[in-house]
This record gives sequence, structure tokens and C-alpha cells, in this order.
Amino acid sequence: MSSDYDYSDEDADYYDDEDEDMMSTEEDGKHAPPPPGSAPSDDEMDMDDFRVPQRAVRKAYEVEHEPLPQSAVEKLMSADVEHISGIFGVEASTAALLLRNMNWNKERLIEKYMDNASGVSVAAGISIPSRKSLSPSLAGPERSQSASSSARSGGLRRPIRQTPVPTPKPEPFVCPICYDDSQTAFSALACDHKFCAGCWNAYATSKIREEGEHAIRCMAEGCALITPDSFVRTTLAEDTATWERFNELLVRHFVASNPSLKYCPYPSCTFTVMCSAAASRSSLTTIVPTVSCGASVNPPHTFCFGCPIEVDHRPVICGVAKMWLRKCRDDSETANWIKSNTKECAKCQSTIEKNGGCNHMTCKKCKHEFCWVCMGPWSEHGTAWYSCNRYDEKAGIDARDAQSKSRASLERYLHYYNRWANHEQSAKLSVELYTKTEKKMEEMQITSDLTWIEVQFMKKAVDEVEKCRMTLKWTYAMAYYLEKGNQKELFEDNQRDLERAVEDLSELLESSIDTEAISTLRQKVTDKTVYVSKRNEIMLDDTAKGFQEGRWTWNVSVEGFD
Amino acid sequence: MDARLRRVNKEISDCKGDKSSSIRIDLIDNSPFHLKGSFPGPKDTPYEGGTFEVDIVIPESYPFQPVKMKFITKVYHPNVSSASGAICLDILKDAWSPVLTLKSTLLSLQSLLCSPEPNDPQDAEVAKHYTTSKRSFDETARYWTQVYAGGAGSRTKLDVKEPLKDEVAIAGLEKAHVDQFEGLGFERSKVIDVLRRLNYRGANVAKISEDRVVEELLK
Repeated sequence: MSSDYDYSDEDADYYDDEDEDMMSTEEDGKHAPPPPGSAPSDDEMDMDDFRVPQRAVRKAYEVEHEPLPQSAVEKLMSADVEHISGIFGVEASTAALLLRNMNWNKERLIEKYMDNASGVSVAAGISIPSRKSLSPSLAGPERSQSASSSARSGGLRRPIRQTPVPTPKPEPFVCPICYDDSQTAFSALACDHKFCAGCWNAYATSKIREEGEHAIRCMAEGCALITPDSFVRTTLAEDTATWERFNELLVRHFVASNPSLKYCPYPSCTFTVMCSAAASRSSLTTIVPTVSCGASVNPPHTFCFGCPIEVDHRPVICGVAKMWLRKCRDDSETANWIKSNTKECAKCQSTIEKNGGCNHMTCKKCKHEFCWVCMGPWSEHGTAWYSCNRYDEKAGIDARDAQSKSRASLERYLHYYNRWANHEQSAKLSVELYTKTEKKMEEMQITSDLTWIEVQFMKKAVDEVEKCRMTLKWTYAMAYYLEKGNQKELFEDNQRDLERAVEDLSELLESSIDTEAISTLRQKVTDKTVYVSKRNEIMLDDTAKGFQEGRWTWNVSVEGFD
Repeated sequence: MDARLRRVNKEISDCKGDKSSSIRIDLIDNSPFHLKGSFPGPKDTPYEGGTFEVDIVIPESYPFQPVKMKFITKVYHPNVSSASGAICLDILKDAWSPVLTLKSTLLSLQSLLCSPEPNDPQDAEVAKHYTTSKRSFDETARYWTQVYAGGAGSRTKLDVKEPLKDEVAIAGLEKAHVDQFEGLGFERSKVIDVLRRLNYRGANVAKISEDRVVEELLK
């Protein structure tokens, strides 16, 4: 098996080293001496780089994780297999079967194996159960004909045969599956149920291809033996595509069994992410494990390690994000929600659909300028006090006086939901904004003496706005569940600052270009982009630190906090 | 020659050659991959005396994937759908092994008729009937065997029975119960339908109030 992997020297050192650490507890985990010929200091440095990428620059809202291509996961698997095979003194394929049966739980395997080696081997499909427990009903009609030969193979604790055993001299034997008497190559596992090579091949292919099964049982009825990898390899012969699929299935099983690993959820991506920090459920109350899988694609495959939401839901933790999404799914199919896609102009009552990212609206009909979020006149916003991101508690009290309590809570929900949906909508419209911006960038290159590289600031700004809108979106989910108090006020202050900065920048991007003022515009946009990115960082950083310090309190019970 | 074709041909000819066995496999059309199997109902069961026909489709990857089998003959059995004939049996799914043959699978079906598994049902209504009142279930199963599987002497017995009784007996219900609710002015077919759905049989009759039945009937 090991011959199929092409280790680079450096990586092999790393895993060897890890092995040493695990095995040599008496030696105080001393590192193995570096291989001759390489300078020790270099080696040490390389290893550190590999283990903790960017340790110094990691931010509070980032989580340490390591993208692993399939080959790296295979190396992790073979390290485990070698470890077990060393301890038990069994062959690698046997160790692999034992580990797979125990879902790669090494400790449990070692414990159980020491306790009852033959029982574990039988359960893992490595050896046949002892004669007395082999009930006659298990043996099908086909089994009886090979009963005498299985008696010959005898030895119960004997490790299974590692290679298919082609019968040396073609004896008069007809494969009980295809009934083809011209076949000469037969093979069997330790149970000695012999079948021809063609049938084994078709069977393994059908199991791997059609059923996606990595544990391929012996073809005999009721026989629980499982084909080791070497047997599968030989059986599949030239069919490398199926062999690769088989290895992918093994990797998937390994990844699924290991809580600190997760398969990239993007279609047909074969990368895995290792994130030990988010391996336990309780850790998800303090961190938001947003990870990227390392596949070289643009945009990168970003997903949450802790939950099935396939987007970056920072700064909100998984439990709250999940609750919010469920609430939106359940409660938002209302007329209120449908209404929230369009709004009426506060002055002339004509229905308006927002078709761009900025919240500064101008009614086409009556030229009334207003804020899309609060519907108030824009003159009250602008550079002055921007208080649009807060649910007005006083208004809430009034509403309760006037209407029923449920009505108020619905309004409270809709307040947050509308702002959430707004940012989502704006982010969706960013594609349009992109094309618009591209046009503007071309325009700029023609009308001014700016080069292509010099107009990239526009694109950068659009990217930043989109990123921040994602953060803002999730902050509303968080604010909805935050308990009233100073902490929430601080949170909403940060939220307001970010939102104002984003809206400013967004408006700047939407404005028409004045040829004269391009250099000023460029300066302004660049400045604002930096500022927005700074505010976003503060928002994410402070929220993440809040989780770590346990600063946030919720107005509902959140999964993991009780 | 195609391995699948060779294997199926051998299986069919083996089965034809075996005079001692009661299992038959016949072609439905010209294709050897669409067959009809049949076997007699096992002794000392409500299925005794009937002949049960099974539709067999050999999939592309046979024998490495299981054959597709379903009853052509209507069977009253917890693990067989009373409507479609679909069969719930492990060897037709994940417990399939390539060494199993059409004949051995049909034998397994035959033994499934002997030992129903009401805890893993294909037809929930029939399974409910089986668990609540085994005797009434047996009667219905026997009746279905006579009507659909050509059980011994069924034809002559049938002739003397009034035709309306059939529906009631097929559903495994008591004629008195059906008459009772029909007397309230509901359509007979609807009464049978509702009573069957409510499992108005055996010990269950005491548990289900008449009001409940009427409520269902009014829906």
C-alpha cells in the first residue's frame, strides 16, 4: 500500500516525528535526530512553519485550521495504521481493517484488542469465528463444498492471507457465481470461499461504484469477512479509476470518524480541513470556526467547520446562527416579509423596489429623499446622528400600549429581520454593482490618465463593501438574541459605526463620476475602504473576544450555554 | 458469452431440470432478464393450496446487485404490499450475496410466507391486523389465497357466497360491523374503507368508539 504514496522527504519527516512523539513516552518525547545531510536548524524551522502557519498574526476572530489535500489525509491514515500495526504486530491491511471497524478510535481499539483479540478480529471481518459458534445455518449450499478446504486452512488467530491466492494448478472448479468453467484464476479470503477473478472484479466494482461502500464483504452468503486493501487492489487490476474512488471512500470514512476533520462541502472538492479548536461541541460557544479548504479556487471554498451552514456566519456563533435561520424560515413567510421586498415612498406612496446597494433612496416620482432602512427623510441622516440600526425601545413601549404584546414582538423581530434581509439583498445585488463598477473603471481609464492598475481601488472597495455587508447581516441576527444592557449597547455602537461607514462607501461607489474630481474620488474611496475594513475588523474582533470572555448574555436559551 | 446471460441461462435450466423441486421459473417474454417465478404456498399456513407468482427482473449488474422481485399474485402478508406486491426481505436488499440464486431467493420467499415479520412490515395495515388478531388475519389470508392464488376448492365455495360478502372478508372485517354502520346511512364501500383503516378488528373493536368511526365516516 505504501508504495502507492509518493512522500516528499520533508513531509515524511514530519509524520515520522509525530510517530516518535506518540511512541516514545519514556524518552520524554525527544525528537528523532534529523536525517543526515540536512542542517538541523533548517529542519526545525521548516517544521515549525508547517505546523503553525501565521501563529503571530492570527486574529481573535480567526480560527487556526489546516487545509489538507486528500494525499495528506491518506498520510494521517497510514500513520495511524502503522502505529497500530506496530503495536499489535499485524500487517498494515489488517490494522487498517481493525481501525475502520472501530471508526478510527485507536484507544478503544487497543483496549478491546488487548482484552479479546480474536473477538475484535471477527467483528472487523478479518478472521472467521471459531468453529463452535459457526452455526450450520450460516453455511449456504455453496459453503458446504468448500467446507473441507476451510478445515484445512484451520488457524483461527492466523492473520488473513494478504494476497489473493491464485490456485496453483487449475483444478476442476467452477466459480459458483458465473458458472464459467473456463476460468483459471480463483482467489479467496481466509474463509476459503473461492470465486473467479472476473466475479471478484465485477463485485468490487459494483460495491464501490454503485453503493459507495468501502467495506467489501466476501461474496459468500452470510460470510462476514471483509476484503483487505491489497486484495481490493489486486482484484480491481487495471481499473485505477475505481481504485481511486475506493481510496476516496476510505478517506471520507476516516474524516467522518474524526471530529477534528471535516470534508469540504463544495461539490466535487476533495479537500479536508483540520481544525482541532472546533472539534468539541462546547468549543462552539466561544469560537466561530470559519475555515477555507485550501483548494486553489477563486473565491476560496469558505465554510463553517462547526455547523452545516455553508457560508461565513461570523461574528455569530453556530448555535445562534442556526436559531436565527430557523426562525426566519418559520416566521418570515408572512405578508410582512413579502412587503419588506418593496416599500412605499413616505411622501407619494408609490411602490419602490430597491435595485442597488445604497440605502439612500430618491423617489423617481416625487424626488423625495429617504433612508431605505428607517424610511425617515435622508436629511436627518447624512453626516448627522445615524441611529438607524437600533430598535427604538421607546417606540416599542408605545406599540405595546397601542397593540397587543405579540404584535410588538413581531415588530421587534421584523426590525432585525428587515435589516438582515436588506444586507442580504444588497449583497446579492453586488453582482450588478460589479458590472456597473467595471464600466466605471473603464470609463475612468478613458477619461483620466489613470492606468488599469490604478483604477483597481474601485473593485477593492466593492469587495470590501460586500464582505462588510455579510458581517452586518449576521450582527442583526446576534443583536436580536442579545440581552438588553451595556454590552448590547456597545455591540450596537460598533454595529452602527460599521453600518454608517459601509453606507457611506456604498453611496460613493454608486455616485456618478465627475471627470474633474477623479483623483479626489479615488482618494476618498481608498480612505473609506481602509476605514470600513478597520471597522469590520473591530466588529469581528470585539465580538469574538466577547465570546471568549463570556461577555454576551442572551435573551433566550442558546444551545451549549446552559 | 455475457457472464450475466450465462448465469441466468444456467439457473433457468437447472431449475427446469430439477424435478423434485416445486419451484418454477418461466420466461415472460423473449428476454431472459424478465422472468416469472412461481411456488406453492407452504403447508400448514393460510397460504396452503395457493400458487404464488413472482415477477423477476434481473438488473444489469446481476448477480452482484440483488434481483428485483415482487408478487404478481395478491398476497395478504405483513411483509408484502397488498396493493403493489412489493416485498420486504433483507436478502433482496443489503443482505444480498452473489452466490444466492433465483431459486434460493424464491425458496426464501416461500419461507417468508411461513414466518412473517410483522415488526418490519411492508404493509402497515396488514401488519396491524396480524398483531391485533392473528385468527382474523389467518382467515383473510386464507380467503385471499382462495380468491387470488387459486387455493383448493375455492371456486366451488365462492359460487355459493353472496358477492357482497367478498369485499368484507377480503378486508378482514366482520359482516355485522359493516352492516351496522351501513345501517346509519353510509355507503358500504366507504364503511369498509374506514373500518379497515381504523383496524376495526378483534380486540380493537372494543377500543374504538362508534363515535370515532362515525367521525371518520363524515370526513
